Amino acid sequence: MSDKIGYTEAFEELQQIVSEIEQGEISVDELSEKVKRAALLIKVCKAKLTTTEEDVNKILKELDASGTDNDDEG
Amino acid sequence: MPEKTNDKTIFSLLEVTQSIQKTISERYRSAFWVKAEMNKLNFYGHSGHCYPELVEKQDGKVIAQIKAHLWKDDYIRANNNFKAVLKEPLKDGIKILFLAKVSFDPAHGLALWILDIDPSYTLGDLEREKQETISRLQEEGIFNRNKTLKLPLLPQRIAIISVETSKGYVDFLKVIETNSWNYAFFHLLFPSLLQGDKAVEAICHQLRRIKRIKSHFDVVAIIRGGGGDIGLSCYNSYQLAKETALFPIPVITGIGHATNETVTEMVSFSNAITPTKLAEFLLQHFHNFSIPLQDGERIIVDTSHQLISEAKSKLHSELKLFRSVTENILTANRNEVRELLKSVFHHAHSQISRFKLIVSQLKDKLFSHASLQCKQTQMELKNIDKNIVNMSPQAVLKRGYSITRFNGEAIKGTHTVRSGDTVSTTLFEGNIISVVQSTNKLA
Repeated sequence: MSDKIGYTEAFEELQQIVSEIEQGEISVDELSEKVKRAALLIKVCKAKLTTTEEDVNKILKELDASGTDNDDEG
Repeated sequence: MPEKTNDKTIFSLLEVTQSIQKTISERYRSAFWVKAEMNKLNFYGHSGHCYPELVEKQDGKVIAQIKAHLWKDDYIRANNNFKAVLKEPLKDGIKILFLAKVSFDPAHGLALWILDIDPSYTLGDLEREKQETISRLQEEGIFNRNKTLKLPLLPQRIAIISVETSKGYVDFLKVIETNSWNYAFFHLLFPSLLQGDKAVEAICHQLRRIKRIKSHFDVVAIIRGGGGDIGLSCYNSYQLAKETALFPIPVITGIGHATNETVTEMVSFSNAITPTKLAEFLLQHFHNFSIPLQDGERIIVDTSHQLISEAKSKLHSELKLFRSVTENILTANRNEVRELLKSVFHHAHSQISRFKLIVSQLKDKLFSHASLQCKQTQMELKNIDKNIVNMSPQAVLKRGYSITRFNGEAIKGTHTVRSGDTVSTTLFEGNIISVVQSTNKLA
């Protein structure tokens, strides 16, 4: 699996694991692997809840670079 | 009085205008209701008076126009009526129904003197404009366009269209920035006018700027608040509502008013009554993410523990069962082996006894056959011996037979001897030597 997993996919995959566990679809043999995976997914999701990576300066620079407002008024 | 010079009567300008004034005032004694478009209000803050420009248009062309004046007290009253009924002040570019007198002033010329303005007429007009905006967007099939977009699970990056000094903006930031769950938001302000006619272009301008960098944002929030309910008809403008409906990422509105929902709010992805409520809407999305996350974590931990302990006890009982079952099987097998052993011995014994019996019978048979055989052979030997004795030369000689030899050989015919040959004859007892006289063959 990619280590740069998106939080939306992480959330969905986690829900999947939770429902599998709730439904009793996970055997003890798979459990360790699933729990390990779930821990990673939870970490990704929790990090997303409490951090953002946007940078104002970068955005403003990009806005300047994209031209004036009149450009797209056509 | 007019001057008279030669053949001319000359009026002063004042005399002429006063005459016009007199004529007009006599002709237009009473006030009457007029409908017109108020192109410009022309409010003068210093005096408090307004000098509206009134026009009537047909197919976009001005077919009538006249100046007007609205004195300070009348303006204040009419404006208050407007705010009460329309939630809009008197402003440029609205259609009004007003009570007026035709006024002519020598110094200021012809004008309509506005005594009162009926706000319900304008209300209907604004409402009609609003309905027009709605039906136009519906006809174009874009009315619900923004609502069909997908808000990310965590609407975290917010482009805010507001003003720094707006109470609504402050309220909004307070809720999202001081939330006790440590939810992180990123927001960037795109300042804009938020009410009045100029707000349409100002908000559209910021929307277009945000569109160019939309990848950095999850949602656009238009936030206003603390400004009263006046001047919000700009949110019914077709241009702004369309820009909102077609915006490529969800637009949410918290315009903060108690009046009917504007078209921009209707077409937005989501509308909240106040900026605070709008911020709570965003927090709710975080909760919707965070709570299942915590629940999931708990469920995984609890269920895992439960699964493991169940597996342990299952293993334990399996082990117990296994032990008891194997013991049973061992015992059963051991008994079976013992029985088999017994039966093998038993069978072997009886087999051996049977063989012994057979062997002894065979031995007996062998002996009896052998001795019988011996007896027969002895008998035969005896007979043979008897014959041999009977056949022996001595026995034959005894019976009177003799052997005549010539030169040591037994004579069997006459041809072997001639007369005069000396022959020897052997008898049972003794020999005779004789000379042959003659021989004759047996006829």
